[in-house]
Amino acid sequence: MNPKEYKYTQEHEWICPESGNKGKMGFTDYAQTQLGDIVFLDLPAPGTKVEQFKKLGEVESVKAVSDIFAPASGQVLEVNQTVIDEPKLVNEDPYGAGWLVKIEMSDSSELGNLMNSDEYDKFVAGLSEEGSE
Amino acid sequence: MVVLKKTPLNKVHHDLKSKLMDFAGWELPAWYTSILEEHKATRSGAGIFDESDMGRVWVIGRKAGAFLDGILTKPVQQLEVGSSQLSLLCLENGGILDDLWAYRVGADQYLLVWNASNIEQKLDWLHRWAGSDPDIIIVNTSLDTVMVAVQGPSVHQLKSLESVSHLPHFGFTQTKIGDISVFVSRTGYTGEDGFEVIADAVKALPLWESFMAEGVKPCGLGARDSLRMEAGMMLCGQDMDTSTNPFEAGLGWLVDLGKGDFVGKSALLEIKSQGVKRKLVGFQIDGREIARSGYKVVKDGKEVGKVTSAGPSPTLGINIGFAYVPIELATLGTEIEIVIRHKPVTAHIVNKKFYKRGA
Repeated sequence: MNPKEYKYTQEHEWICPESGNKGKMGFTDYAQTQLGDIVFLDLPAPGTKVEQFKKLGEVESVKAVSDIFAPASGQVLEVNQTVIDEPKLVNEDPYGAGWLVKIEMSDSSELGNLMNSDEYDKFVAGLSEEGSE
Repeated sequence: MVVLKKTPLNKVHHDLKSKLMDFAGWELPAWYTSILEEHKATRSGAGIFDESDMGRVWVIGRKAGAFLDGILTKPVQQLEVGSSQLSLLCLENGGILDDLWAYRVGADQYLLVWNASNIEQKLDWLHRWAGSDPDIIIVNTSLDTVMVAVQGPSVHQLKSLESVSHLPHFGFTQTKIGDISVFVSRTGYTGEDGFEVIADAVKALPLWESFMAEGVKPCGLGARDSLRMEAGMMLCGQDMDTSTNPFEAGLGWLVDLGKGDFVGKSALLEIKSQGVKRKLVGFQIDGREIARSGYKVVKDGKEVGKVTSAGPSPTLGINIGFAYVPIELATLGTEIEIVIRHKPVTAHIVNKKFYKRGA
């Protein structure tokens, strides 16, 4: 269910590498179920420099505020205005219409620091076990 | 590791795969499917809430009424048997220990229903003032019983509640739902019409099931919080506590200074005569930003207060909250700023009852 071609962080963001060192990023399905109804997104403007695993923005669910972390370093190229206007898209379609920003990566070798979908599936399964103990 | 207390409905919350959280030491669902869905179901249909975390304490005996009148801010002995009222439990200095419902069940029998937080402190407080008098007996039944709230405009269409539909607001009765003996009151904490039901803990599952069978939607703490906030209802421990007095919290209507002596009365008389310096107000954010509990309130670049409860209002589609502000800023329409993500954001003071039923 987590797309094969995406890469994943331990903070439950994904990045989908595209040609030209670009990549769209968003929240994983696990992240959106943990956050609950998402009602507000604070995303950086195009041109903002971001650093891998550092804070990129904030997400607000009905209940609480959480940080969003950058899956790769670089510069924000584009922000998904549709998701800012309709944050529930993150809940409804986290890997598609619910994408957050597009990043121009400064060092695509950083993707090696991320998990592939199999590794991320296992990572999430481990979290669920911990949670049910 | 802290082991959370389980309500008699704990298994239900697990089976429904709810998102569980720690609430005042209880393991309770933040939501089952979605806070927004649950909130809307309660505003438009009917929702059921596990409120077993709340305390249920009997005070019985020949002097029970006189005892309660000596520690509560509203007179209970004037209540008719079969009716109830909201009241405050204050410290000697007027600080708020809790708000609670007092039900007069019999001439010398009262049931107190209070919040989950500081249960031990509140029980100790009762025992301290009751002393060793055999005519004042305090019985904590919180762990032996289950309590659910069934709330929303369609509660009167539910078969399970048909026999109590006639109850006046704040009235209560002891009756049966199916073959389960229950204590039912027409009360709630959502701003909707509805009932609260108490039964023996062993009957928790069949009681829950009877409402499930009628399509009532399970609702978690998230919706409980957003519903009460929209309706302008305060949560003790968050919007007021022992460091706040009833007049600044906007709860002066729960204090009857004309009744006989009670704990905190002289302090409250003094506070009232001097007037309060700050006040809990409702605010609405002008833009789309969301305030949260603990955020700073700013006026002309100076910090003047703190947000106590805040969040989105699912019914109204605006972002709302409560905050303490200096009395000179506490008038409707005053512009204030809330610091959200290090940026001051404009908000206006509005009536705390953001949502009114039938409006």
